[in-house]
Amino acid sequence: MMKIKKIVSLIVASTIALSLVACGGKTASEGAPSSESKAPATSTAPETPKAVGPVTLNVTTTYAGNDGNAGNFKEAVASWTEKTGNKVNDASATSDETFKARILSDFETGSEPDVLFFFNGVDSNAFVKAGKVVSIDTIRSEYPDYASNMKEGMMGASPVDGKNYSVPVNGYWEGMFVNKSVCEAAGVKIPDATTTWDEFLAICQKIKDAGYAPIAASLATVPHYWFEFSIYNYLDPATHNILPTSVEDKHGKAWVSGLNDIKALYEKGFFPDNTLTGTDDETVQMFVDGKAAFLIDGSWKVGGIEGMTDSIDNFTVTYVPGKNNRKSTDIIGGLSSGYYITTKAWEDPEKRAAAVDFVKYMTSDEMVSKFAGVSATALKNGVKVDESALSSLALSGLELVKGATGMAGAVQDQIPTEARVPVFDGMPNLVTGKVEIPAAVTQVLDAIGK
Amino acid sequence: MGANIYKNKKPIIFFLLPAFGFMFVFLYYPFVQNIINSFQNITGLGAAATGWNTPWYGNYVDMFKDPNMWTAFKNTLIMTIATVVGQVGIALVLALLINNIKYGTVFFRIVFFFPIVVSATALGLLFNLIFLYDKGMVNQILELFGIAKLIDWKDEGHALMTMLIPVTWQYVGFYFIILVTGLNGIDEELYEAAAIDGASKWQKIRFISIPLIHNTLCTCAILAVTGALKVFDLPWVMFPKGIPYGNTWLTGTYMYYQTFNASNVDYSSAIAVLIVGLGIILSQTVNMIFKAKDY
Repeated sequence: MMKIKKIVSLIVASTIALSLVACGGKTASEGAPSSESKAPATSTAPETPKAVGPVTLNVTTTYAGNDGNAGNFKEAVASWTEKTGNKVNDASATSDETFKARILSDFETGSEPDVLFFFNGVDSNAFVKAGKVVSIDTIRSEYPDYASNMKEGMMGASPVDGKNYSVPVNGYWEGMFVNKSVCEAAGVKIPDATTTWDEFLAICQKIKDAGYAPIAASLATVPHYWFEFSIYNYLDPATHNILPTSVEDKHGKAWVSGLNDIKALYEKGFFPDNTLTGTDDETVQMFVDGKAAFLIDGSWKVGGIEGMTDSIDNFTVTYVPGKNNRKSTDIIGGLSSGYYITTKAWEDPEKRAAAVDFVKYMTSDEMVSKFAGVSATALKNGVKVDESALSSLALSGLELVKGATGMAGAVQDQIPTEARVPVFDGMPNLVTGKVEIPAAVTQVLDAIGK
Repeated sequence: MGANIYKNKKPIIFFLLPAFGFMFVFLYYPFVQNIINSFQNITGLGAAATGWNTPWYGNYVDMFKDPNMWTAFKNTLIMTIATVVGQVGIALVLALLINNIKYGTVFFRIVFFFPIVVSATALGLLFNLIFLYDKGMVNQILELFGIAKLIDWKDEGHALMTMLIPVTWQYVGFYFIILVTGLNGIDEELYEAAAIDGASKWQKIRFISIPLIHNTLCTCAILAVTGALKVFDLPWVMFPKGIPYGNTWLTGTYMYYQTFNASNVDYSSAIAVLIVGLGIILSQTVNMIFKAKDY
């Protein structure tokens, strides 16, 4: 009897153990042919530049979740796999801090994807420094026409060594969205390319006197748009992206002066009453509801506003009024992400050609035009957009980019996340005078230097 | 011979091992690694440590100097008191009231328990609308009573209370159900005997109900204290980044912020260690106050 029970116990235990092993092994056997199972990695060029047979590429992008291009990406992948016979393991996810952490962990543990669509600013420093992605120059040594449809200077060079590693698709611009009905009710003209900073202040005062909030912004949660343009007003497109070395140098002084301007706007009462306690969602809703006149935001907000209102013609986007050396038509914009080919894929003789072909397909003029819409691109030939299908707000976005006299990337992309805290999250303390602005800027610079 | 199978305990160890393996991989290993991380320099989730901190206990010294950490610590203690008094206290009153009515008990149980089944994130969004500055529900009601000036329920004067109300309200139903179950376990004959002796309703509660659910109350108090230390989702939805001016930080929200917003992973690891330490100290304190009794 005891023997039978022992045998039964053993059988049950073995079954459980086997099923666990089977479950664990499933992904490995069904997954992509991993590079570990291939020939040992080598830095020498493969014998055959083209893939011999269908291969499976591991691809990770931020085109997922509620990203406006998630559907476009799926279609593009389906179309590429059909055309080439290759397969794609798509591990795309919404772009957030968890996603960034996952990518960095993947590189740390050697399980990075073959092709990656990721940020080209300081977020990519770790894997660029570690030599885990291939530079455009290296790829061009074997595929000379790789990314040849892109403007070199706009591809988003790595902060590590100034070389291009990624091929961008859709970029962004930042501008000032306007609720026309609020301006009309307050009897003010809508700011345009010629509006100066002083004129803008006068317009804001009139709007405030008419009982509206001039500027929709949550200084508590999303102060960075105002941070960018306020500093930009003391610099110009060529110098905006140079980080200060101290609070006393030209750029340090520009930062302090810009932040002082935000404080002045707050003290004049140009932000909503709850700007230090409300969230960005709340202040954007105020803007859409006709309780605030202006909103500085990015090109992605065009779609957001289109989805929030039935009267899109009531909204337009214009230049943020400038002062000093910055013309109002000097905008913030750029291409902060792009397609990387990892060293792991490049050194895999079977995957190299497929990875290059995939990126070329995804960054072709046609595909970039489809993904970019009204946002900025690095295409030499520009985007081909069907303007008849665009809303009046989207068209004004296109006009904004066409009329720009200069473009600088967001300087916040040069600042590591942990270093931004004293100024970004501490903005309520700065505008209320609880913390001195030069002291906060010094803290940021000290944190960057660490 | 058949009884021998119960004497041989070795197979039990074999069956316990998988569960232990899971606990080791997903709890004990991360816990120990977290303590190690708190002494290292890690500047981003997923990034490898770049070395040991100088001094190695630097994060723990920084915690004492960090005003936000003190705010978080103070608010967490307030939250702990609010949950013990507010959640368990209100739940006890409601449970005693329900225990004394004949009709509608099922209805009230469902109504009081209902907030538990709604996710904390959804409740956070709901209370955001209730306390919204620009014509939220509370401000609209006040307007009906002639108070036209909008009140910012998230400003310095109101923020903490605005955060405590929904958190307290959310879990009342949880403790209510536990206490009702405890009250149902009391023998009806005790109440009948007390009635024959001429005991009033209050005396029945004071001398029968409360003493006999003492151990249940102790369990509720420990759950409330440890729950208060972990509370995160609802306050984060309503008060992201400790708004206003960092006045609403809790240890849980501040730890999350340091990890995901400030990318200061080693410092947040140190905060996590502090939370565990606080949990042990506070739950032991509650245990000492509400010593288990046998009746």
